[in-house]
Amino acid sequence: MNSRKRRLWGTTVAVGLIAIVVNVPWFNALFVSFKSDGDISRGATVVGTPTTSHYANALGAAGYDFPRFFLNSALIALGAVALVLLIAIPSTYSAIRLGFGGRFIMNASSGLRLLPAIFFAVPYFLLMSNLGLLDTVPGLILANTFLNLPLAIILLSAGFRDVPVEVEEAAKVDGASTYRILGSVLMPILAPSLVAVAVLVFIFSWNDYLFALVLSSSNATPITLGAANFVTSTGIRWGDISATAVLSTLPPVLFAIFAQRYLVSGLSAGAVKG
Amino acid sequence: MSVKAARLVVALAAGLALVSCAPSTGSKTTGAGGDQGSGSGTVKMVLWPGPEGEAMGKVVEAYNAGQGAKDKIKVEMTLLSRQDTFSKEATLMAAKSSQQDIYFVASYNVGQYANSLDPLTSVDASNYFPVAVNGLKYQDKQYALPLDVSNHFLLYRKDLLDALLAAKSQWPAYAAVASKAIGEKRDPKPAAEWDWNDYIAMAAWFSKSANPSSPTQYGTILQAKNLLYNTMIWDDVLWGQGGSWTTPEGKANLDSPAAVKAVGVYSTIYKNGWTSKDSSQAEFPETQAALKAGKTAFALQWSAGFAELNDKTKSPLVAGKIAIAPVPGQKTHVHALAVALNKYSENKGAATKFLDYLATPDAMTAYAKAGGIPAMPDVLKANMSINPAFGQISESIDKYGYSVPVFPNTFQAYSKIAESLSGAWVGQQDAATALKTANASLQKLLG
Amino acid sequence: MPKWVLGSPLILFAAIFVAYPVYQGIQTGFYGLSLQNPETLFTGLDNFGTVLTDPGFLAAAKFTVLFAVAVTVVETVLGFGLALLVNRDFPGKKVFFTMLLVPIMVAPALLGVMFRLLLNGDIGLVPAVLRTVGLDVSLFAPNTVVQLLVLLDILQWTPFAFLIMYAGLQSFPTDVLEAAQVDGAGRLRILRSIIAPIMKPIIFAALFLRLIDALRTFDVIYVLTAGGPGTKTTTMSIYIYKTAFESGQFGLAAAASTIVMLVLLPFVPLFVRRIANPDGKAR
Repeated sequence: MNSRKRRLWGTTVAVGLIAIVVNVPWFNALFVSFKSDGDISRGATVVGTPTTSHYANALGAAGYDFPRFFLNSALIALGAVALVLLIAIPSTYSAIRLGFGGRFIMNASSGLRLLPAIFFAVPYFLLMSNLGLLDTVPGLILANTFLNLPLAIILLSAGFRDVPVEVEEAAKVDGASTYRILGSVLMPILAPSLVAVAVLVFIFSWNDYLFALVLSSSNATPITLGAANFVTSTGIRWGDISATAVLSTLPPVLFAIFAQRYLVSGLSAGAVKG
Repeated sequence: MSVKAARLVVALAAGLALVSCAPSTGSKTTGAGGDQGSGSGTVKMVLWPGPEGEAMGKVVEAYNAGQGAKDKIKVEMTLLSRQDTFSKEATLMAAKSSQQDIYFVASYNVGQYANSLDPLTSVDASNYFPVAVNGLKYQDKQYALPLDVSNHFLLYRKDLLDALLAAKSQWPAYAAVASKAIGEKRDPKPAAEWDWNDYIAMAAWFSKSANPSSPTQYGTILQAKNLLYNTMIWDDVLWGQGGSWTTPEGKANLDSPAAVKAVGVYSTIYKNGWTSKDSSQAEFPETQAALKAGKTAFALQWSAGFAELNDKTKSPLVAGKIAIAPVPGQKTHVHALAVALNKYSENKGAATKFLDYLATPDAMTAYAKAGGIPAMPDVLKANMSINPAFGQISESIDKYGYSVPVFPNTFQAYSKIAESLSGAWVGQQDAATALKTANASLQKLLG
Repeated sequence: MPKWVLGSPLILFAAIFVAYPVYQGIQTGFYGLSLQNPETLFTGLDNFGTVLTDPGFLAAAKFTVLFAVAVTVVETVLGFGLALLVNRDFPGKKVFFTMLLVPIMVAPALLGVMFRLLLNGDIGLVPAVLRTVGLDVSLFAPNTVVQLLVLLDILQWTPFAFLIMYAGLQSFPTDVLEAAQVDGAGRLRILRSIIAPIMKPIIFAALFLRLIDALRTFDVIYVLTAGGPGTKTTTMSIYIYKTAFESGQFGLAAAASTIVMLVLLPFVPLFVRRIANPDGKAR
């Protein structure tokens, strides 16, 4: 084994260790989710007799409509990703390169994100109530778009700024319109940043709790709220909520795996230009 | 601000004006007081998950299939998590929403919510515990219908205490530990006869740090997290020491010797390590875990916790070994969990019909059979076969129950007291200083 | 005018879904709106005065700022280091890359409950493991609880900073790097004089986003300590949450939120300037 290879394996070990350490809570949840309530109560080091009953509960046996909760979460998260990108890409480009709104757009977005989510609880309830969108998936897509737009605008601003202006100027010389430059020149270069934004928006929308609590009551309930049903007035159902936590990370993981082609395969600005 | 930014602001303001003028289509947000509705149709109700929600689910199912079908009423229940139920309801109330017809409330927040509720006029109170019904009255009007009662018990390891009581040879050692803990030699007593000094002495005796031969690591677990529900538990100590929140004239009275003693019970146990240091962040679930693991000998706990501790599949280490006794000092907080009518509901007629149904002993018997603890003494007595604790709950509430005065800020007061005292409970702050802060907050909230 | 065409989706969305709630929220701060007193009385600046003279609010503000700055700095540094480390083709990269993101994929409210389980003295894995090596510690003891919360935040959010900076590295012009390597520049020099300057906007973006989110820290702390013991770990978001939902004082909560925003707003342009230059000119 040559030294370069050895160094790469060293990286594997180091990254692997970090990946395990940050995921101790998740692995613990996985472990607990297969233990019976009795075995959980006997302490963390007891293995006992494995059971899948918590997964049955987390998939609906506990009397809650979990398949529906998962579906709602997926629709809300995908919808929010699409809407956020649709709004953020053109307007951020316009702000950074064409002078639309100038620095105001970014300052305002950042200011918005400084407000605690609770601030918006009642106003958003009233707004969605007036629009007839309470307890609907579109209502929650709009709310999550609102929550995540600042993040997308800030990240994309940094992304657009990273691209040398010469790239655009070259395209302009070739006679490309502004729209074409954005669509065919800049977006491929910025693919990694766009994908990172999409992943983050998906995750944050998937994880939203407070807006879901305020805006949904039964039809649009997402999985985060569904899981809260296991925090009961007679304690926390540790096994059930662990199983739900494990299951609820799978869709974002799938989304990240799908997205990571663009993140990991080294599709970099240099490669495109080269 | 640049010209472009100014133009943007104008555009936003125009949009704003548009939205503000948009007609109300969803729930009415301005109406003064809801509507009786047709007397039939869908009734929406909020409840929280756990035994109450599950039991209510069964009752609702039966109602929708029987009486409800006859009256053309269908009840839909929404469950939220324990803490979020009230957050969601507060949001709905602040928005004067008609989305839900029946709210889940409790003795401790009915005063805060009363402005968003309609008083109930058709309630027959004679079947209920008086303390439960009275705890849901505000300005002499009945604002909610009791569902479940909650109170506290001393849950203790009967096997361990019995062994100590039987082994007279250990009594001198116990007296020595007691003398160090409370400055007084005492013999061990049966749990039902404890006062707060016995509680402290026992906590020491069953802790390895004070008694290396203790069968458990810690004597007790204190629920000392900064949480309004934990104020309710500490109140038992306060009342048990002869104290209370207020003087007979209604002034705040937390700056009293009894209150100092009550804080002292917690801080003595905590500082000496007769409870885990983790007690500073403990509440209901941690207490259950500590008792289930068999490493803690006794604790104050909510009545709802007992059934699970005695369930062999859920608590294999301690099931059958845990018994119930009244809280030391023979005072227990009592509150009723209840259902109330949303003032802004647009289907009050149908909702009232369902509430009337819930007030019948038949409905509450079904509720008890499905796992609830109904606030009707006769129903509890008739159903002792379901839950052996029913008898003791009934007796404890009758004999030892006290209730905290209902005023608009009761809920906030519980929260503020927990905030002011939770540091002192675990010895982070001097009791007298903390109580002064708590007393000032309480006085302000009493108005 | 392409600039208005491209900007129109944002204007449309903001006009309805931003302007109205912000206006409504700020306005609430000027009214004595509470559950106890639903009559909406205009109270002017009273709520702002009440909040600003509340020692509880000031204590929460102090704790929040210290906490946020501490975790942001650590997370940005660790996240950048991790991004550099992962930015090469090592075996198993795809698996570990996804794994590194899992902490932010567990909903924060749910993660709080998972920490509560993991760290519980009776049924938690961490205390059990520590006991087997002879360490009998209580993780939630008042004198170490703040450090514990900082550590947990780092475990939870370093992956976020990592992802942003890693994505930034992917747009990095590799030819510049290769040229420097050909010139024989040392690793530290490459990092300091080539990577860091080009990455500056994205590093600032990560730092800035973490900072504003950390200033709103709520879920995990609320689940674990509810702000206690006493008010020791009360963040501004917890303070505002309790003011609205436990005290029923929506007017006060709105005023407190508005104050937080107004106090922090002047700092925003300092960061924004470094993340993006505003007027479409080259950097």
